[in-house]
Formats: sequence, structure tokens, C-alpha cells
Amino acid sequence: MSNVQVATGVINLSEGDPGLVDEIKELGGEELLECIQCAKCAAACPMVLAGFSFFNKRVIQAILLGLRDALLDDSSIWACQSCNRCTEVCPREVNPFEIIQAMRRVAIREFALPTLSIEGLKSLYDTGHAVYLAGAGSTRAKVGLPEKPYSTVANPKALKELQAVIRQTALADLGIIPMDESDVTETCEV
Amino acid sequence: MKVGFFVGCNTSFNRPDLEQAVRYAFPALGIELDNLEGQSCCPSWGTMPSVDVVGWCAVGARNHTIAEEKGLDIVTVCGSCYGSLAESKYKMDTNSEIKASVNEILKEIGREYKGTSKVRLAHYYLYHELGPERIKEALKHRLDGLTVALQPGCHTLWPSKVYYDKEEDPFHPKVLKEMCEALGATVGHYTRLIDCCGMGAMRSTDMEKSFNLVQKKLLSMKEEVNPDLIVTGCSSCLIQFDTAQEFLRNGKKINFQIPVLHFMQVLALCLGADREQVTGLAKTDVGPVVNRILAG
Ligand code: SF4
Ligand code: SF4
Repeated sequence: MSNVQVATGVINLSEGDPGLVDEIKELGGEELLECIQCAKCAAACPMVLAGFSFFNKRVIQAILLGLRDALLDDSSIWACQSCNRCTEVCPREVNPFEIIQAMRRVAIREFALPTLSIEGLKSLYDTGHAVYLAGAGSTRAKVGLPEKPYSTVANPKALKELQAVIRQTALADLGIIPMDESDVTETCEV
Repeated sequence: MKVGFFVGCNTSFNRPDLEQAVRYAFPALGIELDNLEGQSCCPSWGTMPSVDVVGWCAVGARNHTIAEEKGLDIVTVCGSCYGSLAESKYKMDTNSEIKASVNEILKEIGREYKGTSKVRLAHYYLYHELGPERIKEALKHRLDGLTVALQPGCHTLWPSKVYYDKEEDPFHPKVLKEMCEALGATVGHYTRLIDCCGMGAMRSTDMEKSFNLVQKKLLSMKEEVNPDLIVTGCSSCLIQFDTAQEFLRNGKKINFQIPVLHFMQVLALCLGADREQVTGLAKTDVGPVVNRILAG
């Protein structure tokens, strides 16, 4: 959708992408077509309270209209808190949160993902933690804990295992992050 | 009794004082903690779950198998870990295709997801396995005379279908309230009790909007409860409430400060833990309220 269309509130439906619905269904949003746009999910959604333009109900509506670019151009889907209020209240068992996730999966396949997510994925692969603070050792020591938690960061064999798992997932096929051995680990706060 | 401690990212790197609180409180109540060595990130929402269902479940499943091998349930204090691990488990347990694909991936590392370990949130675990009465008996200090406002945390409640420990009505949660009352606190009700604190993906996407939410909650708490302390059920909520207040004060959005602790930190203090070790990393001053707890 162009900026002019957004500004005037006009949506050119002939530019909609009818393939988007199938893509969403394939990527985890199987119940998409059950939505009756009743807005119960919207009434419960923190994204509405915070003022984001595309929240659960509107994301579903936009997908049904095939407005791929409008959704990709907006950061709202990445602000979803994964809180699942919407999933809890939906009378049609649409799993609206799963549809937001599916839309993120579509976005990722077009490399339209926020830098923080890329960093989080890279940190997950390199250290086993999506959120990782390189300098946390001294903070841990201050409260009397070993500098590294009993996780992949203190266990090279476990990290190798995790990396072997990740290398077999869609993340590897998509090539979003480098998966070689030589990566240096930096702090990452997603 | 023994459980696996899933410590996750934010607790180990950001708030290890909360990790220490768990490491103190569980053994003090007679429950042994296993470190689930080699665990990784849950993985959290903006990463694997946003890429692909099977990949998400596979990373989660590897964590599950570490607990399964030991015949232990998993406890955590983080809402994201709780939500992600419980949801990946639910997906694998209810969808045989996902489970089969995951096990195909795990084969390469010699593991198999079976689905035998439950995922529990620390205070729900204690509520159900010990009960408030037994916890009361073990207390060295109490919260008598203190008024608290609660922040249960989104992932402790919804989607209720994926959780082993369910609230009777997740929109009117009771467990954290009863646990705080067991410690002697007066729990005040406020209108925005089940609102989201704005931490997580929202804060990473738009900090101003995220802080608007926590501001709304803080004002509702202050006006309706005027608490001595905010008690959270989630490590992410802890970080948000603890760090946002200074920011909001500097921007003249609030003109007060309320100390914030996770329930497990309060419990550890009441059981006799060292205050520096279990609350020493709080940004919003907790000194005076900890003094009152230790005097109680
Ligand atoms: S997803 Fe469910 S709750 Fe939301 S508008 Fe559709 S039917 Fe209503
Ligand atoms: S999961 Fe996302 S879309 Fe659903 S209510 Fe929470 S923030 Fe809104």
C-alpha cells in the first residue's frame, strides 16, 4: 500500500495479494478463515492500549484483504507481546496470536525482520541464549553465583548440540544468520 | 522432592539476585534443585517461534529432554520461558506431525522428546506441591503491616490450555494473591491488575509506547492501593517495573517510586536469605521495605 493510500485511508483491493491467506495457513495460522471479525481479541490486546496500528483483529483483516506490503511496512507485528489474551478469549478458536506469529514468519521469509530479532537469533546460535550479556559474570559473582550459568555458555558440548539442532531448522535454510564456527559473541538484549 | 531449575536468559544475566532467591528458597523449603546442565534459551518469542513452528519446538524440546532424562519437572521464574516451554510442549503433545518432525531433528544429537516432564512456574509449584500453610510454618520473617500491589504477568495466565497449573479464572487470578497473603501481606486490588506491563517485544519495538503501559499500571496501583511494594510473578515484569520508574520520573510522568521484587525474592527474604544476594541488583531502592520485612 502506498503512502498516499495510507494517508487517505483508501485501500486498493485490486492490489491485494490473494496468496497471503494460504501462506499464513501453511506457516501456523491454520484457523485464519474462522475469524468473524468480532473484535473480542482486540478488546483484550495490549497493543491496542499502547496505540499500535496493526493488532490481532486488524492483522487478520489485512491478511484476508491480501495487504502484504502494509503489514510488512509497519512494525506492529513485532510489538506483539505473545501474551495470548487474544487466544484465550477468541470465541472461534482462531488463535490470533498464532496468526501474528505466522505473519512474522512470512515477513522473515522476505527478510523483513527487525535488527533485534536478527541479533537475538545470532546470539541464540552463538551462545544458546537469545538474551545474552557478555559482562554479566561480575554481576553474578556479586550475588555469590558462578560467573556462568549452568547452560550452554558453560558447556561447549551442549552448545554444539544446540547448534546441530538449529542447523536442521528453517532458520538454516533461510540463511538469516551466519552459522560458521568463528563467530564472536557480543551482548544481546532482545 | 526435586525439580529442574530452568533459569533462562534474563534471570541469569540481568537479575541473578532472583536466581539466588530461587536457589535459597527451594532448598529452605525442602525441595532440591537440579541445574538442568546444558539448558539453552527457551527459545523466546522474537527468535525461533517467529521463524518456524518445528524449529521452535526442536530447540524447546532439547531443553525438555534434559529434564525428561532425569525424570524431573521444570520450574522457572520467567514468564517467557514458562510460556514458550509450555506452548512448545503443548504443540508437540497435541500434534503428532510436529512431534515426529522434532524427533527427526533430535535424532542427530541422540535425543528423543517424550513429553514426560511438566513445565511449572515457581510460585505455582510451591502453591500446589506445598501449599500456603506449610510455607507459613517455615517463615522467619513476615510481611505483616505491608500493603502490596501484584503484577501476575501475562504468561502466567494465558493461554490457559497450555499450562499444567491453571487459575480457576485466569482473568481473576488468585495464586499470587494467596501466596502473598500467606507471607502476611495485605494485597490491594487495583483496576489494571491484569494489564500487560509492556516489557518484551513491545519495549524492543517502541519504548515510548511500552512505557505508556507501565505508567498506566503504576498510576492505577498508586491511586487505588498506594502499595509499599510491588510483587511480580515474572522476571520480565520485574525488570520493567524496576527500570522504567526512574525513566518515567525523569520525564515527569510519575512523581513517586515504589520498590519492586519478584515473589521468589520476597519469599527468600522471609525464609532468612542474605538480602544482598537475593535483592542486591534492584535499581529502584528496596532498602527501606527490605528493612521492614526483616523486622517483621
Ligand atoms: S480472531 Fe477471534 S476474537 Fe478476534 S475478531 Fe476473529 S473471531 Fe473475533
Ligand atoms: S498475543 Fe499479541 S495480539 Fe494477542 S493479545 Fe497479546 S499482544 Fe495482542
